[in-house]
Amino acid sequence: MFLTLKLLANRHPSFIARTVFVKNNNVDDACRLVNRILGKEGILEQYRLTRYYEKPFQTRRRVNHEKCKAIYNEDMERKIQFVLRKNRHEPFPGCH
Amino acid sequence: MLSAIRNSLKVSINNIVRTFQTTTPVATEKFDHKRIPADDEGVQGEKIIDLDSVLKAKQELFPTAESDNLLFDGTPYKDLSVCNIRVSHNNTIFTMTDAAGVVKLIRSCGMEGFKNTKKGTNIAAQTTAINLATKAVDRGIRTIRVRVRGLGPGRLSAIKGLQMGGLQIVSVTDNTRVSWNPPRPRKAKRL
Repeated sequence: MFLTLKLLANRHPSFIARTVFVKNNNVDDACRLVNRILGKEGILEQYRLTRYYEKPFQTRRRVNHEKCKAIYNEDMERKIQFVLRKNRHEPFPGCH
Repeated sequence: MLSAIRNSLKVSINNIVRTFQTTTPVATEKFDHKRIPADDEGVQGEKIIDLDSVLKAKQELFPTAESDNLLFDGTPYKDLSVCNIRVSHNNTIFTMTDAAGVVKLIRSCGMEGFKNTKKGTNIAAQTTAINLATKAVDRGIRTIRVRVRGLGPGRLSAIKGLQMGGLQIVSVTDNTRVSWNPPRPRKAKRL
């Protein structure tokens, strides 16, 4: 009940959203987990991008660069997986 | 007739000359279908481990509906005092409040005697945190929740300093202000 009220009152209720309990007095781990969540959710990136105004040409260039990088990474990942593949029919092709 | 002889000769000559033989390479190992794992269809399993599954395993790390009334040092979670930490590039400000938000203690790196750029260092944040923590302990505050806002060099060391000063930290919350449709920010710095 309390939680639902809190959620209705605020989209990001404090001490519910982005909160991690500290286990065994291990503050470092909790901080790291919070940071990892922030990074994964893209909150840190958005924070960084909205510090200063980004001119439209910069946005365009950034988006294009991200596209290129994504394509390159995808292909490279596939290549690496191909080279590293296991359980081959012939384990060492061409060596007899 | 002649051609037949010639053919037989050719065959014999061929047989005599080709003493060595080439064979196709033979795979010595038999192909075992069981060794190849079935195609992964993106179902979460042994091979795919993502953050979500790690987090699901540790349920008690995150607050739930019941966590408001969890007892820490004899106090319910919702009634614990809060340490708000405002971290920026140039300074770190600590505000100790009770559960309702009434300010009990306030301390910043500048008040601690660090001046100019030294205010924004992690060492300044840590020493300030330790001092604040000792003051809080004197006032009888032992267990706190921490709420951090902003990114900066003092972010981690501030929380660590609070612990080193003798406070027991129950939870860490991030309260960084982030908007997805903000007003126009200030002009970018020229390099």
